[in-house]
Amino acid sequence: MATDSIAIPLPRTASRSVVLDWLCTVDHKKIGIMYIVYALIFLVIMGCEAILMRIQLARPESTFLNAEAFNRLFTMHGTTGIFFVAMPMLFGFGNYFVPLMIGARDMAFPRVNAFSFWMTAFGGILLYASFFSGGSLLHGGSAPAVGWFAYAPLTAPAFSPGHGTDFWILALLVAGVGSIGAGVNFVATVLCMRCPGMTLGKMPLFAWMNLVTGAMVLVAISPLTAAQLMLIGDRFLGSHFFDPAAGGQPVMWMHFFWIFGHPEVYILIIPSFAFISEILPVFSRKAIFGYPAMVAATAGIGFISLGVWAHHMFTVGMPSYGNAFFVLTTMVVAVPTGIKIFNWLATLWGGKIRFATPMLFCIAFLFQFLIGGLTGIMLATAPFDWQLHDSYFVVAHFHYIIVGGILFAIFAAFYYWFPKMTGRMLSETLGKWHFWIMVIGFHLTFDFMHVPGLLGMPRRIYTYQAGRGWGVWNMISSIGVIFQAAAILIFVYNLVHSYFKGALAGNDPWDAWTLEWATTSPPPDYNFDAVPVVRSRRPLWDIKHPEDPDWKYE
Amino acid sequence: MNSHSQSGRHDGSNEQVRLPSPTPWPILLAVGITLIAGGLVSSGIVSIVGALIAVAACVGWFRQVLPRERHGSVDVVPHDIVIASSRRKVARMEAPQAPTRARLPLEIYPISAGIKGGLAGGVAMALMAMFYGIVSHRSIWYPINLLGAVVYAHIQVTDQQMEVFHLDLLLVAIALHVTTCVLVGLLYGTLLPMLPKRPILLGGLFAPLVWTGLLHSILNIVDPVLNQHIDWLWFLASQIAFGLVAGMEVVRQVRIPTWQYPFSVRAGVESPGMMGEEDSHR
Repeated sequence: MATDSIAIPLPRTASRSVVLDWLCTVDHKKIGIMYIVYALIFLVIMGCEAILMRIQLARPESTFLNAEAFNRLFTMHGTTGIFFVAMPMLFGFGNYFVPLMIGARDMAFPRVNAFSFWMTAFGGILLYASFFSGGSLLHGGSAPAVGWFAYAPLTAPAFSPGHGTDFWILALLVAGVGSIGAGVNFVATVLCMRCPGMTLGKMPLFAWMNLVTGAMVLVAISPLTAAQLMLIGDRFLGSHFFDPAAGGQPVMWMHFFWIFGHPEVYILIIPSFAFISEILPVFSRKAIFGYPAMVAATAGIGFISLGVWAHHMFTVGMPSYGNAFFVLTTMVVAVPTGIKIFNWLATLWGGKIRFATPMLFCIAFLFQFLIGGLTGIMLATAPFDWQLHDSYFVVAHFHYIIVGGILFAIFAAFYYWFPKMTGRMLSETLGKWHFWIMVIGFHLTFDFMHVPGLLGMPRRIYTYQAGRGWGVWNMISSIGVIFQAAAILIFVYNLVHSYFKGALAGNDPWDAWTLEWATTSPPPDYNFDAVPVVRSRRPLWDIKHPEDPDWKYE
Repeated sequence: MNSHSQSGRHDGSNEQVRLPSPTPWPILLAVGITLIAGGLVSSGIVSIVGALIAVAACVGWFRQVLPRERHGSVDVVPHDIVIASSRRKVARMEAPQAPTRARLPLEIYPISAGIKGGLAGGVAMALMAMFYGIVSHRSIWYPINLLGAVVYAHIQVTDQQMEVFHLDLLLVAIALHVTTCVLVGLLYGTLLPMLPKRPILLGGLFAPLVWTGLLHSILNIVDPVLNQHIDWLWFLASQIAFGLVAGMEVVRQVRIPTWQYPFSVRAGVESPGMMGEEDSHR
């Protein structure tokens, strides 16, 4: 890239239509908002898919959906949730706030940033175009029905005819390119764009965690992309990478998928940790406890999580040494995760805690993520996993992480940073309604979902016989979804209503300490009138408390 | 990137900031690539159109950044931003002693103390073990061979063989003994400043008891030969000898104050972004 630049006196927001302005923008804040809005739309879509599935499973021998439609729904629900809700949402917040927190004007590669977003967006659109192909929407078109991890040989043309699986492969391939672009941008931005004085040791944990996430994206998405190219070869060109009848190995797909798939969980949870690590201290009125340990734990999680993938494959029949290795590595990853939880608790300890809505979601996150982690440790034990693999216990476990952990952290982030992004506060009253109804719904659905799993109910069955003892638990889980849907509706209403009529936020409504609160709400195109200079991890604390600045102690 | 970084800075005039101009090429390239993929599940024409759009977008993009990146200039509208807190009072964590925010422990033993302690304890332990050999088997080589035999765990050996000199077992035993003693000595050097009261008692008696109990449960796996022949009472005595001598040797050393600075500074890491910059800004 050239090292010089030429300045052309064009106004950055040219006199084009608003739509064109957003389509052509390279501003990290607008791209961040587009990521978030896009993810919100898909959150509602995947929620609707979940509602349909829970209606089907509420009662035994239900005929609300047929098996084929059910298979399509859980495939689209899982794929959408991971690739088109969680990732874009977290990338959106990262895009918006990493440059602001490190005192930069924009991301390192603004054009690549825009390209990454549009690739992700079109990937999702391509996936959902499958509903309109090869048949009517009512019959599900040829939407993929192979599950979100699309095991071979189910993906072979013989078992998955039509283009449904092809849509799945191509959509994730396109979105994967976007994810890799985003990963490159996060790493380059954090390493190269920090404002004067912001050494790595003075960087907000939010930036640290997005740095680790970006690096993990680069390592983890590549194997998935490679595997999908191989699968395209199998389906379009007659190769046999995963065809056991011709010497291929279906288990190789499993390895390729999960060497992406498990780090992916951490790609989603580490930015959630970033939200919690920024919000908890502000509402505890204390600096984060154990900053160096938090950084080390984040890097440790990033590294160890690359070596745990085959705990998803204990029932495949790996050698005992393989099982033992992946049991141990999975147990080990709990150590840095535990360090984080203890540090968050220590941050709360002795603090002057304010139970505003962002804090409520953070507290719920702590409990729920802990429980999800503990069931993860249970499943990491190979003999336990042999009993419960592919049961609803596993479904409950990972929803505890993804909904109870990641989604709750995302809600916390919305309530915390919405004022900065829009200049208006979200309604606290509606926020508390949202929180409590969501908590009730979440626990009704996912606490009780463990039980049919323990009773032997396999995942991905579209119905079940009466008299198996599963009916009441499934009914409770389905009732919980009603609460969750109501909570999401309140949340969406709060977003829209507050955007137009919310109370004015001011620049620093939470009396916070990181740099994004040192500019206007919303920030101007150039973020800061002058590039800030920092001397500690809490630059705004230093300004607000010149008699006792942090830099004396760091 | 450098270009953007450069242009992203305030331009010095306090009036304009240069930022990358809005551009349609990223979205068009994404459209093109998506259509190429979409053509595989629809029609080849779609892929061809996609490829044309992608090529056009690449050309447009390259022309925009080569040879020099294009930027737009944005007028800076000065904002009167007041950064202040309504919470002026700062509560402090109560600490029994000044200074607040100290990095504990305030004093430690130098690394050399741990090494010296480990070696001294190792000598005491070896003497005790050889005394045991003389008393029980009339041979100082018996305990040495027992320790060295860990590498020959798969070979059956008789008591007579264990009582005579073997050079290979001696070398193995010395290597194992010295390594372990130095490592445990370093552990003592680290731990003793942390022990609140009577460090010799805790380090010399309590720690050997715990260590012996742990070994008792795992020695069958670690060293089956030693496990078959070990006399646990004598073993405990030798561990206590180690603990007492190592502990006394460590506490004889002069303590040094810990640096009240971040690890990166104490470790002397000079990578970009790791060093503190307080001094230059004060």
